Amino acid sequence: MAKARLIGDRTNKMMVQAMERRATDVRGRVFHVTLLVTLLISLFILAVLIVDVVIDSWGFLTGRPGGFLSGTMRSLSDDPKLGVHQALVGTFWIAVFVAVLAFPIGIGAAIWLEEYALKNWFTRFIELNIRNLAGVPSIVYGLLGLFLFVKSLEGLTGGKSIASAGITLAILVLPIVIITAQEAIRAVPQGLKEGAYGVGATKWTMIRSQVLPYAAPGIFTGTLLSMSRGIGEAAPLLLVGAVSGRLGSDSGFFDLSSVTAEHFMAMPVIIVEWVQNSGRDPGFAEAAAAAIVVLLVFVILMNAAAIILRNHFEKKRG
Amino acid sequence: MDVTDTRIDPAGELTVESLMANPRQARKERLIRDSLGATALVSVLISGLIIWSLFSEAWTFMVEVDWGAVWDIGWFPRRGIYDIKTLIAASLIITGIAMVVAGPLGLGAAIYLSEYARPGVRRTLKPILEILAGIPSVVLGFFALEWIAPNVVKTLFGGPAAGSLLAAGIGVGVLVIPLVASISEDAMKAVPMSLREASSGLGARKLTTTVRVVLPAAVSGLMAAFIVAVSRALGETMVVFMAGGAAQTAVYTHDPLDGSLTMTAGMTSLARGTDNVVGEGLTFQSLFFVGLVLFVVTFALNLVADRFVHRVREQY
Amino acid sequence: MRLRKLLVLIIGLMTAFALVAAACGNDGDDGGTTPSTAGQIESGGESGDGSQSAAGDEAPAGSVSGSVTISGSSTVEPISVRVAELFEDVQPDVHVTVDGPGTGDGFKLFCEGETDISGASRPIKDSEAETCAENGIEHVELRVGIDGIAVMTGESSPVECVTFNDIYGLVGPESTGFGSWADAGTLSGLATSSLPDADLDIYGPGEESGTFDSFVEIVLEDIADERGQDATTRPDYNANADDNVIIQGIQSGDTTFGWVGFAFAAHASGVKLLQVDGGGGCAGANADTIASGEYPVSRALYIYVNKAEAAENPALTAYVEYYLSDEGLGTAVSDVGYVTLADDAKGAARANWAGR
Repeated sequence: MAKARLIGDRTNKMMVQAMERRATDVRGRVFHVTLLVTLLISLFILAVLIVDVVIDSWGFLTGRPGGFLSGTMRSLSDDPKLGVHQALVGTFWIAVFVAVLAFPIGIGAAIWLEEYALKNWFTRFIELNIRNLAGVPSIVYGLLGLFLFVKSLEGLTGGKSIASAGITLAILVLPIVIITAQEAIRAVPQGLKEGAYGVGATKWTMIRSQVLPYAAPGIFTGTLLSMSRGIGEAAPLLLVGAVSGRLGSDSGFFDLSSVTAEHFMAMPVIIVEWVQNSGRDPGFAEAAAAAIVVLLVFVILMNAAAIILRNHFEKKRG
Repeated sequence: MDVTDTRIDPAGELTVESLMANPRQARKERLIRDSLGATALVSVLISGLIIWSLFSEAWTFMVEVDWGAVWDIGWFPRRGIYDIKTLIAASLIITGIAMVVAGPLGLGAAIYLSEYARPGVRRTLKPILEILAGIPSVVLGFFALEWIAPNVVKTLFGGPAAGSLLAAGIGVGVLVIPLVASISEDAMKAVPMSLREASSGLGARKLTTTVRVVLPAAVSGLMAAFIVAVSRALGETMVVFMAGGAAQTAVYTHDPLDGSLTMTAGMTSLARGTDNVVGEGLTFQSLFFVGLVLFVVTFALNLVADRFVHRVREQY
Repeated sequence: MRLRKLLVLIIGLMTAFALVAAACGNDGDDGGTTPSTAGQIESGGESGDGSQSAAGDEAPAGSVSGSVTISGSSTVEPISVRVAELFEDVQPDVHVTVDGPGTGDGFKLFCEGETDISGASRPIKDSEAETCAENGIEHVELRVGIDGIAVMTGESSPVECVTFNDIYGLVGPESTGFGSWADAGTLSGLATSSLPDADLDIYGPGEESGTFDSFVEIVLEDIADERGQDATTRPDYNANADDNVIIQGIQSGDTTFGWVGFAFAAHASGVKLLQVDGGGGCAGANADTIASGEYPVSRALYIYVNKAEAAENPALTAYVEYYLSDEGLGTAVSDVGYVTLADDAKGAARANWAGR
């Protein structure tokens, strides 16, 4: 061992490698394998989860192709008209609210924090506040929605409506949008900004022409992630009053009056609803699995797109 | 780009005026700055609203409630029995089980990805872990109830095939694995390469380097990972609501094979049930009281975790 | 380049999926009319059947449109919902909203003219009828089904028959903490049968369930009122929303006690359905004794229809007639787990409607 210090790096490395290659290092190998196994367990759980859901839902999805997406909520699981249409409409509108409210506000806040804010206690306070908001349990946002949008502002939102739910979820994902957009903006090279100033650009022109285009993929990744979080979230919706039981009628996707109508349904909530119904009618467990498959298609595709996008730009920009 | 507007003297002379912005431009700039600033303030407004909504209702509860009802045999909010220890006990059991599952699995995965995995392997495995992170919690609730309960809780622990604290705890554990893994991996990646090289240079094996050098150096970040995961597990709702094995009410229990309600599940099932929160006078307010307890606890944990993360940044 | 292809693929898949969903949805809306015209002929015949025998003169020919508002008992709500689902399949232009805040709250709304139909798990009270009359609201009472609750114990339990007092002693509000059947006899001033000194584990639906409410209202309420107690159960029992779990709990011991809706218990094995004595002697639970009212843990379910509205609103008339047809009183009632009326009671309901 003592000799190792006397020889060069290259030789040292070779020696270390040779030592590691030796079969005598049983503990090292066991450790290595154990670590790999822990990781594989997680991946195995993911695989089991997906296989389990697909198997449970198989009969439902193949038995009524198309019908499941256009069907509505029914009392019996073997009703041929059972389906998720109302839930898809609700989730669609929630996504609209998230996109319209959380994205512009979140990206605007990120630009201000990175480009305009002075590095003082107030900025630090806002940033700490945003990090804390990101860690607040989702159900607490549900309480906020219940108190503020369902009770206090009932006249505006229509009470237990899709509008209350949409605003609540937009607030819930806002910190994620801000934090991811901040990271994307922070990664913009200083040189680009200075270049823009150098040719006489104003601050906003510089941001619009240099910062935003460069940060766009990162910002987009963040919005994808927050959207997938938003459409998969159930707890706040249960507090804001996604209906249990019967919805008035099934409205189309673009029926604006449904936004402030009392009662709504959304994909994650219909899953909960059907899992609970399976206590008296076991067929609803399969219906829930089928609804999960529909939800997962959206969520996994969004996540995958975000991950691929991020990895690509990370690699490209080193 | 809007640069033609600068008032450079045609003769090429640079005057003080030419360096000043055009007033209209300056007004526009100020307007943009201020509206962006306003969007940043929205987050402060939201925090304020959360605290206001929790406190205003919880305050009514705390003033008017008979405190004997807050320490009773169980959680029966519609009858005016608001035993908070039932909910806290269940929350702690769920969190404990979740950390037993997610701690080793998440940390192991993080060490592997950070220290052992070849780049190609890492590029394949890490995204899959990130997909797991994106699975909505209702899906894990379903999985905990329909698969973990009959296949793990019943066969390995002899518990019920239906919902129980153990089934829900394992489900929550699976949910926080990616969180533990990702923060821990970041912490280990932040350890400078020179430490590892120095260790190898002294002839230490990879195992020794990892366990004796990298892990101790990353300990603040690992603590942060652990605390954030605890906070997340305490706040997790849907898995417990769906697979926790209790409906609406719960008698105090500390047996993981029983069903019970956590703080989050207690709130959810109270707000749901029928269409409105009805019951004894303070039933509605009790929602906000429990919410406030949960908020304060998770807030404190997040602050502590934030400190630890900062320490990592300062160290290296 | 590979990245761009992947992204295009993913975004394409997502859009395709969303389009399919939207298209199918619209399909459902448009298609909703197509199959329903077909269904209409079929059920036009059926509901014609019901109305010919009952109302005769005003059988709805063809489709109607309009809306129907229903509130009232949460126990009746599932029947009205199921009827509405089936009805909207044949009359897609009628919108039926159903709510279930409770029988009393339902009558309040009904007597203010806010709702067209009120579900009730008991006949209207005189005071409520007076309010209705003051507001000029005339109603017709229709019996639609029977809610029966099975009271159960373990298969090899020595107990065969219990009285309402026994049940009150076992699970009523004063029994908190009781661990033995014999403890029920220790409540002062409550006459119980002699119950064995055996372990008492109780399984039942949670407070949110309609079965819980029914059980309390049928068995416990009167005794609790007499004794000056809240009408509820003891809190310390195994409450579950899943009827299967309740049945499994009752199976798990010899001297367990529990209750679920009769329809669910009827085909459960490993449990013993107790006979119940509601003052008229022990009676076992089966479809006949429940339909006849001989089994005491049961009660009739009603809907009350606003007469004036029914005269004006063809959608309401069509809905009620569908309710009274075999799809309603037969299929829908048994679909949601209640006991259907005997044939003469069905006939009486139809006659009531015809003679309104």
